[in-house]
Amino acid sequence: MYEKTILIKDTDTKREDLTRQAYTQILDFLRHNDQHSRIQVVRVADIGLYDKGLVIKILPEQITYANVKEDDLKRIADAISFNKGRVEDLVYKPKSKQERLVLKNCGRIDPESIDDYIACGGYLGLKQAIELKEDKVIEEIKTSGIRGRGGAGYPTWMKWNFAREVASDQKFVICNADEGDPGAYMDRSILEGDPHAVLEGLIIAAFAVGASKGYFYVRAEYPLAVERINKAIKQAYDCGLLGQNILGSSFGLDLEIRLGAGAFVCGEETALISSIEGKRGTPHPRPPYPSVKGLWGKPTVINNVETLANIPQILLKGGAWFAKIGTATSKGTKVFAVTGKVKNSGLVEIAMGATLREIVMDICGGTLTGKPIKAVQTGGPSGGVIPEHLLDTPVDYENLQKLGSIMGSGGMIVMDDDDCMVDIPKFYLGFCVEESCGKCSPCRIGGFQMLGYLKKITEGAGNINDIAQLKRISYAMQKASLCGLGQTASNPVLSTLKYFEKEYIEHIENKHCPAGKCSHLVTYSVIEEKCKRCGLCFTNCPVSAITGDKEKGYSVIQEKCIKCGKCFEVCKFRAINKK
Amino acid sequence: MEQKKLNPELVKLVEEWKGKEGNLIMILHEIQNHHGYVPRELSLELSKMLEVPLARIYEVITFYNFFKLSPPGKHLIKLCMGTACYLRGAGIILDEIKNILGVKEGESTKDNLFHLDVVRCLGCCGLAPVLMIDEKVYSKVKKAEVADILSKYIKEE
Amino acid sequence: MVRLTPESLDKISKEPCDKPANWIKVGMSSCGIAAGADEVFNFLSEEVKKRNLNVEVKKCGCQGNCYAEPLVEVSIEGLPSVTYGRVNRDIANKIIEKHVIGKMLVNDCIYNTVD
Repeated sequence: MYEKTILIKDTDTKREDLTRQAYTQILDFLRHNDQHSRIQVVRVADIGLYDKGLVIKILPEQITYANVKEDDLKRIADAISFNKGRVEDLVYKPKSKQERLVLKNCGRIDPESIDDYIACGGYLGLKQAIELKEDKVIEEIKTSGIRGRGGAGYPTWMKWNFAREVASDQKFVICNADEGDPGAYMDRSILEGDPHAVLEGLIIAAFAVGASKGYFYVRAEYPLAVERINKAIKQAYDCGLLGQNILGSSFGLDLEIRLGAGAFVCGEETALISSIEGKRGTPHPRPPYPSVKGLWGKPTVINNVETLANIPQILLKGGAWFAKIGTATSKGTKVFAVTGKVKNSGLVEIAMGATLREIVMDICGGTLTGKPIKAVQTGGPSGGVIPEHLLDTPVDYENLQKLGSIMGSGGMIVMDDDDCMVDIPKFYLGFCVEESCGKCSPCRIGGFQMLGYLKKITEGAGNINDIAQLKRISYAMQKASLCGLGQTASNPVLSTLKYFEKEYIEHIENKHCPAGKCSHLVTYSVIEEKCKRCGLCFTNCPVSAITGDKEKGYSVIQEKCIKCGKCFEVCKFRAINKK
Repeated sequence: MEQKKLNPELVKLVEEWKGKEGNLIMILHEIQNHHGYVPRELSLELSKMLEVPLARIYEVITFYNFFKLSPPGKHLIKLCMGTACYLRGAGIILDEIKNILGVKEGESTKDNLFHLDVVRCLGCCGLAPVLMIDEKVYSKVKKAEVADILSKYIKEE
Repeated sequence: MVRLTPESLDKISKEPCDKPANWIKVGMSSCGIAAGADEVFNFLSEEVKKRNLNVEVKKCGCQGNCYAEPLVEVSIEGLPSVTYGRVNRDIANKIIEKHVIGKMLVNDCIYNTVD
């Protein structure tokens, strides 16, 4: 049996991969020291660090060496062979580390086993809540400082307190699992990976506000999440954690699942309520707020999945424990779904206050192709872009707002210079226009008008006055739309205009898309030095816009070119320039 | 036209849901699960059983993207057009599918073998671009793979 | 299932976590399943049964490294616990033969170590 393990990975992507070479060398040194049967050497696919040269990790000591050179290998091998301790000058301590509070059970326990959940401290938070009594529970939530993780960042304790203070014969709690932001799947993962944590949070919420009935409102597009929540609810009923006299108290709660049906607007509280009531998901003016008058006119607390998943631990470890994590105004951790042009796409849970650069570069390995980051988009269709030079901003609710974006539900999209800053807001606005419920004119008409302008600009028919029009309509939508969808639909446009106005102007004045994305505004040309004169582009062009032959080479007749991109697609030598 | 009636199981379901407030969307889900869409005859029956005007039922069906008013093709293609999939080329995949099958979004092929829907978002962003045909998920789909993927279903016929 | 009381919850929480010594966990959220995790889970379960190995094969939720799905975490006594990524049938077979039986970690497939 091996006593120690050496993991090796060359994380430098700009030169030849030295993993195998280093592996062989270390193995040779160990054989020389007669230690190879005691110490295992393993090449890994990913060592959790990026652009840190050759990285070596020693287990079980958990020592990490980075930027290891060939000359260092013998020292490392000797140190480990003869128990000489660490090679201090090579030791690397990662700056930022994920802190898995919400995701602590995801990937650890069987999500379909309540026994697994209870064995890891499950439902002790509920037990604690019942012992503390309702007012003290709300106080703990207040001390914790937790804010809604669905996007608005509203203090959770306030919502609960408003509902608690209203006298009513019936109160409701709802878990908002209608995760509609494209590119965000944190809630899906939590529901599929640790449904009981969310369930426990919802039961605690019901207890605190005095609700006897609750709902999970889940996207129909998440069948596995629905299945697992269903199982969790049934198991909770079987164990007496739902129904009457929960844990021997006088508190009782009944829960049901209601499915969404593909309407993004139903993520908004009042629209969600309409949907559960069996109606079209149109929002209502607020006040009155749902906490006071919600589902069927009764006080209703609606919380996001991630918010609820935090609650059991806050009750168990105390609000003060939670408040120590994060920043002054944004407590706790946040789960981000980092996707787009990123090398290691996935879920990252990190304390509020970590910078965007730490998340995207240190944890997720930077861009997919090694190209520089152009911007990071947060907040989904309601959010904005943050350009590269601002990536050292610590992430919290206020900072992201100052930059013209929002935290949103946690979607984080990484973009490189192949992404067009006029096309991206067009994509998001197209989404909002499709999803608009149509009830209020600013959103219904304003969104449509803005989309029209963006389409014009990306098709080469834009006018410089269009920019002022876009801003004018944006402000009108922000002020006058009935709900958050309309109020924030213009954020991607305003944000890209703030940081990338030059790109808009390039589209309008020079009829050119610098990213090469807007098909009407790109120019295809042959790169002579790379062209092998195979003629594939010539034979595949549908409109014979390529001229030449195998001796003289080929070129594109721009006047004939319909910009279909076929030549770019078929060229095996990347000899077609698309810009 | 084939006469569609609520089968006894669905009658039982409607009876079960009748007493619950806000039952319409859940009942429509069950009907669509069974038939693949919400047939007009069943909406009429439902209207009588629930004592709800037909207009109310239709206003709900037409509001929500999920519900279909006409039978979809045998194989339901769902192409994710979430942001991550869009950035990683879902638009190109969509054009390729439209090209090969000769349909637009929301349409079925003439032989009723495929129905094409664009959805947002399937929540598998780490595997973008993602394509679902019936229950099978295809991940990191490339344009060159689309014809092969579709031909598997054509060959089965 | 037994109806829980505050006392029974307390009792369970004080008991040592009776984890099996050897286990394999397969990430079975939607992204894992989309990448083929159910076939990997079935293969590993069958192999463990066929070869009569003292290893429990379980499903778990998303570990977060979605780019590397299907993810399989392996904990065998005497070896560090590691997570293999982009696991297909071939790599699953190596996990059984090399890691579980041979007590040696598989090269080029590890995506994470469990701290």
